[in-house]
Amino acid sequence: MGEVKLFFGPNHPGMHGNFSVHMYVEGDTVVRARPLPGFLHRGFEKLMERRLWYQNLALIPRICVPEPDINEVCYAMAIEKIAKIEVPERAQWIRMIVLELARIASHLMSFPGIGGSLGLYTGPFWGTADRDRVLDIFESLTGARVYHMYIVPGGVRKDLTPSIQKSIKETLDYIESRLPDYENLIFKNRIVHTRLKKIALLDRETALELGITGVGLRATGVPYDIRKVDPYLFYDKVEFEVPTATDGDAFSRVYLKFLEISQSIKIIRQALEKMPEGKVNVRISDGNALRYRVPKGQAYVHVESTRGEYGYYMVSDGGEKPYRVAVRGASYPQTFIGIEKYLPGTRIEDVPIWLSTMDVCAPEVDR
Amino acid sequence: MMTIIRVAAVLLTGFFVGLTLEGVSRKIIARIQRRYGPPWYQNFIDVFKALSKNGITHGWIFDFGILMALGGVIATLAFVPLGDLVAFPGLDNLFIIVYLFAVGALGMAMGMVGSGNPNSSIGVARALTQMLGYEIPYMISVSAVMYYYKTASVSELMLSQQDSWTLLKMPLGGIVAFISLLGMLGKKPFDTPIAPAEIASGPMVELSAKYMGLLMLMHTFSIFVEIGLFVDIFLGISNYWTFLIKFTVIWILATLISSVLPRFRIEQVVKFYWKVPLGLAFLQALFVLLGWVF
Repeated sequence: MGEVKLFFGPNHPGMHGNFSVHMYVEGDTVVRARPLPGFLHRGFEKLMERRLWYQNLALIPRICVPEPDINEVCYAMAIEKIAKIEVPERAQWIRMIVLELARIASHLMSFPGIGGSLGLYTGPFWGTADRDRVLDIFESLTGARVYHMYIVPGGVRKDLTPSIQKSIKETLDYIESRLPDYENLIFKNRIVHTRLKKIALLDRETALELGITGVGLRATGVPYDIRKVDPYLFYDKVEFEVPTATDGDAFSRVYLKFLEISQSIKIIRQALEKMPEGKVNVRISDGNALRYRVPKGQAYVHVESTRGEYGYYMVSDGGEKPYRVAVRGASYPQTFIGIEKYLPGTRIEDVPIWLSTMDVCAPEVDR
Repeated sequence: MMTIIRVAAVLLTGFFVGLTLEGVSRKIIARIQRRYGPPWYQNFIDVFKALSKNGITHGWIFDFGILMALGGVIATLAFVPLGDLVAFPGLDNLFIIVYLFAVGALGMAMGMVGSGNPNSSIGVARALTQMLGYEIPYMISVSAVMYYYKTASVSELMLSQQDSWTLLKMPLGGIVAFISLLGMLGKKPFDTPIAPAEIASGPMVELSAKYMGLLMLMHTFSIFVEIGLFVDIFLGISNYWTFLIKFTVIWILATLISSVLPRFRIEQVVKFYWKVPLGLAFLQALFVLLGWVF
């Protein structure tokens, strides 16, 4: 049987988002693979140069759909770094709570989502239902469910009221009580083990060479987490662990995400306790609140997203608009070099598992 | 004249009960997955809507294959006794049913390969490979039952279970038949041929409108044949109504199992079938030969 070309995406039930992989298949094995980005290209980095600093707040969350808050916090922190603005302590803690809630929401879509590739559809549905509880919190806190535009340069838009704090605590208790169910459904299932273990292997050297971070790297035994390596906000003031594994296979990558949810819950509980009273934002400049200028300078800030290191490199020429903003998408290396170099040799059955556990995220890659 | 009425009764039962139960099982799965789920009559809406539209054809092999699939399965269903409702008394031989059933499967394979989509071909190849996996243990287990009762007529096999169900007499054979049944129904973990995330629903990928509607009907009828045979052979004597109750129980059991399991890879399917169920089937056959039946 000769070589057959299969289109994996953009219209394919196994593909997440608007992305395509052209696979050349011999029998059941992929011999060549070509990633085709561009279906979702909106030119964010260029658009940002044409808009005011404040206007960009509505633009940046769109770069990453499942976890938009990392963009807001990167953008705000970069501006604060250039303008040397001291952000109120309470705002920093609230940012941490929002980031960790976003991490839980994203992981709740991501780790049960492996059920979509495996045919265990109960997982994704449960995950989506439980993620909705987190989105409810976002709605009451920010007024929006997915794109919050809540973390702004100088702090956050609104204070975290006691009633929202109460609902956060209740939601955390609920999600914690659901975790054993997920473990029974997915991680104790023997068929899941046979499908995921020793599949989509990624060794430490390859991960380091490609620049893969996040669970991809941590699954190979490297405890690399920006929250520990280069703490931002108040991550050095809370206690949490960075779960790692040594197998570097699909199973350990998915399982690490599951373990990280418990750590995020731990961080939020500590943050809610340690958060002092006070202001939640300061003004960037004394002039017009919508047309402020950022002093000349440049900065790189990075945060730990669910997919790895996520960073903004920002240059300001002292004007009303950014001179240049470059985004380091965490899933960039595995999506391009990874697919072209390491997807060949995979069987058709394992391609969705490969793409899903390597965190190929189309909106972030296309930008 | 009576035969025509009986055949019509069998087919109408297959149509109404099959589609209703598919709707109910969608509702059950939805509740397990913490959703509200579609109404129980959703599958009727789907089938009628699909049949009322004009689809895209991929040549006469494609058209003919789908008709052959539906025709083959309808012909098979006419021979399956639904409790005491037997359309062709004396002709409900298990071998006739098994051979006729292959016509439907081959028709589907032909039509889907005729669509020219590589995903369809992969799906069909997987379906036929999977068939190789479950047919052998199933046939050994059923052959042991036929050997024990000295008949191949399905209604006689059913009527022979005067004192106790075959499932209780030959529990290993019953288990093997049930596991094979999951494979025939394409329930998880054996839904590898239609794996949506891997091969975009496999054989069904090029189906649209009325072609899809016809194949949905074929699927409903084949569920009736597969579970119906299991109920007749293993679950004791039943009349028309108790048959439907047993049928519902087995269908819901398969649905429940399916909703909490992921799917195997194709070689894992065959390996599994040729290891556990085949071993159990041989053991059951040995017990029957030795006369060790409860």
